[in-house]
Amino acid sequence: MAPHRIALLFNANKVYDRQVIAGIGRYLNSTRVEWDLFMEEDFRSRMRDIRQFRGDGVIADFDDPQAPDALRDLHIPVVAVGGSYHDPAAYPAGVPYIATDNARLIRLAYDHLIEQGLPRFAFYGIPPHAGNRWAQEREHAFRVIVAAESTEGIVHQGQPTSAGGWGSAVQALVAWLGGLPKPIGIIAATDARARQLLQACVIGDIAVPEQVSIVGIDNDPMAQLLTRIPLTSVIQGAEEMGRTAAHLLHQMLHGVDCADTRVLVPPVGIHVQASSRYQPLRSPHVMRACHYIRQYGCLGIKTDQVADYVGISRTVLEEHFKRELKQTVHQVILQHKLDTARQLIAETDASLADIAVRCGFTSLQYMHTVFRREFDCTPRQYLDLHRQTAAPN
Amino acid sequence: MSISAAIAWGHLPDGRPLHRWTLRNAAGSQLDISNLGGSLLSWQTPDRRGRLGEVLLGHADAAQYLASDAYMGSIVGRWANRIRGGRFQLDGIDYKVDRNDHGNHLHGGNDGFHLQRWEVEPEGGALVLRLISPEGEGGFPAEVRVQLRLGLHDDGGLDLHYEASSDAATPLSLTAHPYFNLNDRRPDIRDHLLRIDAAEFLAVDAQAIPVGRQAVAGTAFDFNESAPIGSRLHWPDPQLRLVGGFDHCYIPRGPANAAPRTIAEVIEPLSGRRLTVETDRPGLQFYSGQKLAGQPDRHGGRYGAFAGFALEAQAFPDQVNGPDAEAAILRPGAVWRQHTRYRIDTV
Repeated sequence: MAPHRIALLFNANKVYDRQVIAGIGRYLNSTRVEWDLFMEEDFRSRMRDIRQFRGDGVIADFDDPQAPDALRDLHIPVVAVGGSYHDPAAYPAGVPYIATDNARLIRLAYDHLIEQGLPRFAFYGIPPHAGNRWAQEREHAFRVIVAAESTEGIVHQGQPTSAGGWGSAVQALVAWLGGLPKPIGIIAATDARARQLLQACVIGDIAVPEQVSIVGIDNDPMAQLLTRIPLTSVIQGAEEMGRTAAHLLHQMLHGVDCADTRVLVPPVGIHVQASSRYQPLRSPHVMRACHYIRQYGCLGIKTDQVADYVGISRTVLEEHFKRELKQTVHQVILQHKLDTARQLIAETDASLADIAVRCGFTSLQYMHTVFRREFDCTPRQYLDLHRQTAAPN
Repeated sequence: MSISAAIAWGHLPDGRPLHRWTLRNAAGSQLDISNLGGSLLSWQTPDRRGRLGEVLLGHADAAQYLASDAYMGSIVGRWANRIRGGRFQLDGIDYKVDRNDHGNHLHGGNDGFHLQRWEVEPEGGALVLRLISPEGEGGFPAEVRVQLRLGLHDDGGLDLHYEASSDAATPLSLTAHPYFNLNDRRPDIRDHLLRIDAAEFLAVDAQAIPVGRQAVAGTAFDFNESAPIGSRLHWPDPQLRLVGGFDHCYIPRGPANAAPRTIAEVIEPLSGRRLTVETDRPGLQFYSGQKLAGQPDRHGGRYGAFAGFALEAQAFPDQVNGPDAEAAILRPGAVWRQHTRYRIDTV
C-alpha cells in the first residue's frame, strides 16, 4: 500500500510551530507509520494553493484565519491545531481540534508569580488582529483570573510592532512601566513581547525582578539570547500537540470519526530564571538560617553555629535577622524549641522531662521557667489543657 | 532520618489504640505513617523554592481510613489488584477468595492488609512494620509473615523493603497505594507530566481485568516521552472509555526480581516537584484517579475526580490465573522480597 500523502500547513518560523511538527515526527517514528509529508520548501503555509493538493489528509495551523475556509471543501481528513477558546462556539465545526490551553498557560504564569510573593499583576498583550486571537484569549484568561481572585490586574495591549514605530513604542512602554505600582508581576503574551518589556526596563532604569517581575510564554531560545536578564517563560506542550494531531489523523485515515474530538494540551513547564526570581522581604541569609534552625533547633544549637552554616559572621547575621524578623537569632531558636515542645505535649504521650530533653532544653526546670515567661503557665498546666488522650473524631 | 515517638491516632473498633509516626530527613521532608494498614498519611516535601507542601492525598482521621474504600496510602495485600471471579487454582486445589469488586477479588478483600493493625518499631535507622496474616484470611491459604522497612533519605527517597514468608503455598503480591498530587495548590493532577518506561501494557475488559498485552506505540498509553495526563484522557481510545481513564498495568522495561530499575517519572510544572519510581516488580499499575470523587479529604471536604494519581508496583493483575501464575506464588522456605522506591525532588 502506498503511504498516505499528508500536508502539514504551518508557518514554521516560530519555535512553537517547529515543536508541533517535531511532535508529528516523533509520533511517526514511534509507530513506524509511513506518511509522504508535504511541506512548502520555506516551511511557510500557502493556504490558497492547498486546493490543488491531491493527498489523503492535512494537519493545519488554524490560528491562520484563512485555514477554515481554505480547507472546508477539501473532502479529506483535516486535523486543526491552534489556540484554545473560552467560548466553545469559537471552535471550527466538524474538525478535530488540538489546542494549546491558553487559560492554563496564563494560570501557570500567574500562579508562579503568586508563589514568588508578588502582590499585583499586569498583562502585556498585543493589539487585536485576525491572526492573533490566541493573544486575545490569553488576555481574557488573565482578566478572568484577576477578577475571580480579586487581585489587582492591569491590562496593556501596547502598540503593534513595526520598524518605523519602534522608537516611540519603546518610549510608550517605558512610560507605562514607569507609571505602574511596584512591585508588580507582568505576564507577557509571548516571549517576543516579554523581551520588549525587558528592553524598556533597561532603558527606564527599572529593576528586574525587584520592581517588575516578568514571565513570557514560548520558552523561545532566540528571545533568551537577546536579553541580558534571563527570561522566565512558560513552555507550551507543542510537541504533545503534534503527537496528538498525528494520532487523530492516523485514526481518521483508518475510518475512525474524530470530528467531535477536542484535546486541550496544558503547558509542560515553566523555565524559571532571573526575570521572576523576586524575593519578598527575606534575605537569602535569613531564609537559609531559618531552614537550619527548623532542622537542628532542638539539638542545642547556638547563634554561632547558625552563622557558620550560613557562611557569614554572627554580627552580620544578627543585623539581617533584626531587619527582616525583628528578632535575634537566639529568640528564633527558642521559639522553635517552644513550638516543638507544645506540639509534643499536645500530640504524644511523652513525659515532660523527656520532652524537655528532646527539645534541647538543658533541664525540665529551664523549660518550666521559659514556659512561665512566654506563656504565663507551667508545662504541666499546658499539658492538662491540650493533651489529646482520646481519639480524634 | 529521624523517627518521632509514637503519637496517638485514634482506635480500632475493638478499642485497640492506633498510632502514627513521623519520619524526617535533613532537607525538611516529613512523612507520617500509621500502623493502621501501614498507611502513608502525609508526605511534605519542598517545592522548587524550598517551601514544604503536601504531596499525598489523605483522609482526616482513623475512623475515615477504617470506613474508606480508596486504599488511601495503605499497604495492600495479600493480593494487590484483581483476581477474576475471586477464584484460582493452586497445586490442584480450587480457592475462592473475597469478591469485593463487582464479583472479582480486589486488593486483599474485605479485611485486607490495609485494614490490619501492624506492629511498628524503629529499628536500625528505619521504621519496621510487621504483620501476620493468618491462614484463611480473605480466603487465602497459608499463614504469611510480612515485614516492611521504611526509610526516608536525604535525597528525598522513600525506600520500601518488603520481606514475606509463609508456612504453605499462597499467592502473594504486595504494593503501596499512595495517591500523589505534587501540586498542593490545585486539587487536580491532570496537568502533571507522566513518563512510564514501558513498550506494553495489559489491555483490560470492562471489569478492569487484563485480557492481553498491547503495544503502547501510537496510542494514548505511550508515555515513553513525558506527556500531560489530562490531555491524553481525551484521546479517542476504547481502553480509556472502558474504565473512565487510566487504570491499567504497564509492563516496564528491564528485568523484574533484579536490582530496582527506574520505571516512571512524574513532574508537576508549577511546584517543580518530580516523583521518580523505582522497583523490582514486573508490573506498574497506573490509576488516574477518575473515581476519587466524594472521598473525604483531610480538612472536612471531599476530593473530586482526578484529585490524585497512583503508581503501584506489583505483580500482574490476575496473574494467578495466567501463564505466569507460578511466579506469583510464595512457597514455604522461600523468602519473598520487594524493593520499591519513591523519590521526590525538584527540577
